Amino acid sequence: MLIELALRNLARTKVRSTLAIIGIVIGVMAISSIGIFGESLKAVILENFKDVANEVIITPNYIHGYTSIDARTVRKIETIPFAETVIPVKSESALVEYRGKKTYVTVYGIDVRKTKDLFELERGTYKGCLVGSKIADFFKLRVGSRITVAGKDFRVTGIIKEGARFDINPNYAVILPLRDFDRVFNDKEYSMVIVKVRSIDKIDAFKKAVDKIVNRKENKVSVFEMKMIIERIKNVFGKVTLFLMAIAGVSLLVAGISILNIMLMSTIERTKEIGLMRAIGAYRETILKLFLTEALILGLVGSAVGGALSFLGGYSIDILILKTAKYVFAPSSIVYVFLGIAFGILTALISAMYPAWKASKLEPIEALRYE
Amino acid sequence: MIELVDVVKKYRIGIHEVVALNGVSLSVRDGEFVVIMGPSGSGKSTLLHLIGCLDKPTSGKVIIDGLDTSKLSDRELTELRRDKIGFVFQQYYLIPTLTALENVELPMVFKGVPKEKRHSRAEELLELVGLKGKEDRKPKELSGGEQQRVAIARALANEPSILLCDEPTGNLDTKSGKVVMDIIKRLNVEEGVTVVLVTHDPSLSDYGDRVVRIRDGRIIHAD
Repeated sequence: MLIELALRNLARTKVRSTLAIIGIVIGVMAISSIGIFGESLKAVILENFKDVANEVIITPNYIHGYTSIDARTVRKIETIPFAETVIPVKSESALVEYRGKKTYVTVYGIDVRKTKDLFELERGTYKGCLVGSKIADFFKLRVGSRITVAGKDFRVTGIIKEGARFDINPNYAVILPLRDFDRVFNDKEYSMVIVKVRSIDKIDAFKKAVDKIVNRKENKVSVFEMKMIIERIKNVFGKVTLFLMAIAGVSLLVAGISILNIMLMSTIERTKEIGLMRAIGAYRETILKLFLTEALILGLVGSAVGGALSFLGGYSIDILILKTAKYVFAPSSIVYVFLGIAFGILTALISAMYPAWKASKLEPIEALRYE
Repeated sequence: MIELVDVVKKYRIGIHEVVALNGVSLSVRDGEFVVIMGPSGSGKSTLLHLIGCLDKPTSGKVIIDGLDTSKLSDRELTELRRDKIGFVFQQYYLIPTLTALENVELPMVFKGVPKEKRHSRAEELLELVGLKGKEDRKPKELSGGEQQRVAIARALANEPSILLCDEPTGNLDTKSGKVVMDIIKRLNVEEGVTVVLVTHDPSLSDYGDRVVRIRDGRIIHAD
């Protein structure tokens, strides 16, 4: 009956109630749409790194005077059970020339069987010299072109697909098979070791094993987790999303104020009714509940509609800015829709608290006499 | 049993203090029909509101069925009004969004009477006041007399022992007024409901067992 009464009270001032609902709809839609967009943006960026999440990079501990990793250390790392693939990498900065053009790039030496674990190719095969896409663009290289690396000639067998890594920038790299690299540079030791750990939750165990086996006497190497970098990115984008949502939240605040306003008007208009209800046996909290129920209905309806429309909003922003809508219905995006709905309902309830309290505090006889 | 012992009620309007009741003592037996008469501003409505626990006296005691109302909390007073007292006001005070039947149900909703039971009781009460067939009308679709009868039915919803009427015929024509008064009288005679009725209309004095005259906040004559 209380709900019925609340519904009819809202229906009494249809235009007013509708406007209040529209306010909530806009507020919830703004918050949730931006939430969806923020989440999609994060997903789009992290998608580039999804293959490297289980990787760790082992570098020489420069602080303790180590500038390279020796073959014995690499073999020790290979014995750690959590390591699925161990890729030792040599690197040097070198002059690369092609048809009169020249540039300095970082040249990497990687076992020919393992390059496929790190890079995808746009064209060609993994078996020889690989060049990054930007290098290829710069020199206008094709598979089969002959380039000069630190004075020695190599035939390009593959062009690396554009991508992003934290350890090696594939777009500007020149990758040589280890044997060829050694022919040019004569480096005995490795500049880093990339390890793919069996699964993300084994990374901590792997790190501990490295400390025990490799760093037992001296801190020879440092271990960087990709996971950590990815977490940082997530964190930053989470904050950006939150900030944008807070801005959108202003519209919900305005909606809340409009509910406060209409509820105050309605307590004044219905003073006599409140007095009557108190006279015939309504407790103070019954009056409180009645007004809060009215606000709750406004909040529920507004939030439900706003929540539904936020998919449309999120979809539009995603298409417009990210050119893809595949993350609109992702579970992590839907969380923001529920968040928006929760905020919408909460706003309505909080806004109604003061008017409801005021109505419940009316003395029955004064309310009945009110003109 | 209603007992008022040396009741004083003062209001403050701006800087002026108005004495609405100035030492009123009165007792009403169970089943009695008392008409309180007085000109406007005499304090008769204030007296009714104090009996109905809608207001509290500045000093003195209001005792309902042996309960000193000054000692009750707001919650207890609400329950007292809900369970023991029925109100009939000059302006009816029906809830405009509710039908006649729902208006009658309202005090039972506040008491927590189950839906089926309150529904059938409300139907009976509307029949009692001669409004069978008009259960689903909204107040604005009823005449003044009909609205007042709905209000009487509502006042009876929780089977109160006391019916307090504040100028119940004040807004009605003579004919509707008579219908309303006949219903109130019948309730008093047949159901034994105690009635305290406040009016300035001398023609209503015939309905009461006793007439109490009040002027300037004092009882000047009781017979």
